[in-house]
Amino acid sequence: MVPPAGTTVRADRLRAVNVPQPVNVVCDENGMPVAIGEEREKGRKGVREIMEVWVVHDEWWRPPGLNRRYVEVLMEGGSHLVLFEDLNTRTWFVQQP
Amino acid sequence: MTRALSSRSAACLWVPAWPLHCETLRRPELVGTPHALLAPEDGRRLWHLSREARRDGAKTKMTVSQAIGLCPALALLEPDPVFYDEQFAHLLRRLINVSPVIEPAELGRVYVGVDGLERLYGGPEEQLAVIVEAGGREGGKTDDYRLGYATGKFPAWVAATRARPGEALVVPKGDEAEFLATQPIAVLPLERDDLDRLRQLGLNTLGQLVALPEEALTAQLGNPGRAAWRLAAGQVLDPVVGKPAPEPIMQGLSYPAPVADSGMLAHTMSVLIEHALRNPRRTGWRVVSARVRAALEQGGSWMIDTVLKDPSADRERIAAPLRAKLEMTPPTGAVERIVVEFTDFVRGTDELQLFARDAAAAARAGRVGALRSAAREMVARMRRTMLYRIVEVQPWSRLPERRYALIAYEP
Repeated sequence: MVPPAGTTVRADRLRAVNVPQPVNVVCDENGMPVAIGEEREKGRKGVREIMEVWVVHDEWWRPPGLNRRYVEVLMEGGSHLVLFEDLNTRTWFVQQP
Repeated sequence: MTRALSSRSAACLWVPAWPLHCETLRRPELVGTPHALLAPEDGRRLWHLSREARRDGAKTKMTVSQAIGLCPALALLEPDPVFYDEQFAHLLRRLINVSPVIEPAELGRVYVGVDGLERLYGGPEEQLAVIVEAGGREGGKTDDYRLGYATGKFPAWVAATRARPGEALVVPKGDEAEFLATQPIAVLPLERDDLDRLRQLGLNTLGQLVALPEEALTAQLGNPGRAAWRLAAGQVLDPVVGKPAPEPIMQGLSYPAPVADSGMLAHTMSVLIEHALRNPRRTGWRVVSARVRAALEQGGSWMIDTVLKDPSADRERIAAPLRAKLEMTPPTGAVERIVVEFTDFVRGTDELQLFARDAAAAARAGRVGALRSAAREMVARMRRTMLYRIVEVQPWSRLPERRYALIAYEP
């Protein structure tokens, strides 16, 4: 018998790494990120350039599937970030590529 | 020269998947759960698996991601080869109390010479019971043991492989050839390709193989074929060959001027231990007990000794308890001459010797020891392990969070 996957996680079980972190993204009229972070926060940073955009559709056999639009951006200050928009929930995440 | 001890009658004690057996001794909560050891040379693949994991479809050499897919509850364990070596050394040490003729073959497989034991313990069944009792002491789990009893090592080994878990198979004296004839050819020490070739020729049992002339097999497979034919025919009944423990190994140093500084004495002790470990007589053996004695300036003497809980061939492991004793009971005067003596030994396997002789492996063992104690302290303070190791799960996945995962790292 295979025990259900939803059993209590034990210390010796696998734990995912690089889990997407939710992030607040301000988009332009085309849906492209222009700034990242909370408006009230002083740390809100603008996006200098969109480097690359790609879309991932996966697990289509498990509705609604996994639909993500990844956007690699160059931030003001020079750092690179990879963001993605979950197309099912319209929420944004940041994740290491 | 010391004469080798030998015995034609052999008992073979075999614990398949010895590393897994050791892990369940250390962590009894694993019993009855699907768990697997990661391969020491490739942490992405499985090495040894519990029965429950196999039942769920996981297999040796399978990748972690495949195995997790088949068995989501699978617990993955980091391999700890030094611990497995130590446990095997303990087993050998206990068995030497049953018979002086002990020949380790590999981790988890040891031959016990049983010639003459009938007067002490009775027939083969009684002798095997004593061996199991000795092997299983200190909380050992004896259901994993398989025992074979026969004349010669090869029939004893084959009998052990045919025995049910926790049981023994005795081959009566003189029945070796008859017993071997019904066994599959997989028991022969041949390369997998050679075994496949024999199967393609329709040869599945040792009896079918022996029906061919010896020359025919030699012509096909060369010398290994000849050796295999003779084993299969029961013509080669190798005795168990024990090795008498070496005489005490001593290493001494006379100081040009008497020394009273304990730091200097500790350093000398460490250097002498290193030299004594390099003695050729020590090769193949781990040190169980050691002592340090000294001649004092005023004419008296001083001595400390230690019995190692874990037999070792590592300088630091031997020196540490002696240093502690030196601190507690230092010499009562200045030391003129100091001698380190190894007085008791336990036999090691070739695998074990990899750790004993290889300086890099010894250093690794030291690092693992330090890491283990740091991890223990962390668990005591944080209430949970904070050390993890990254393993590849689906490195090809387009979703970054699916590529790698963390497993608890218990050094």
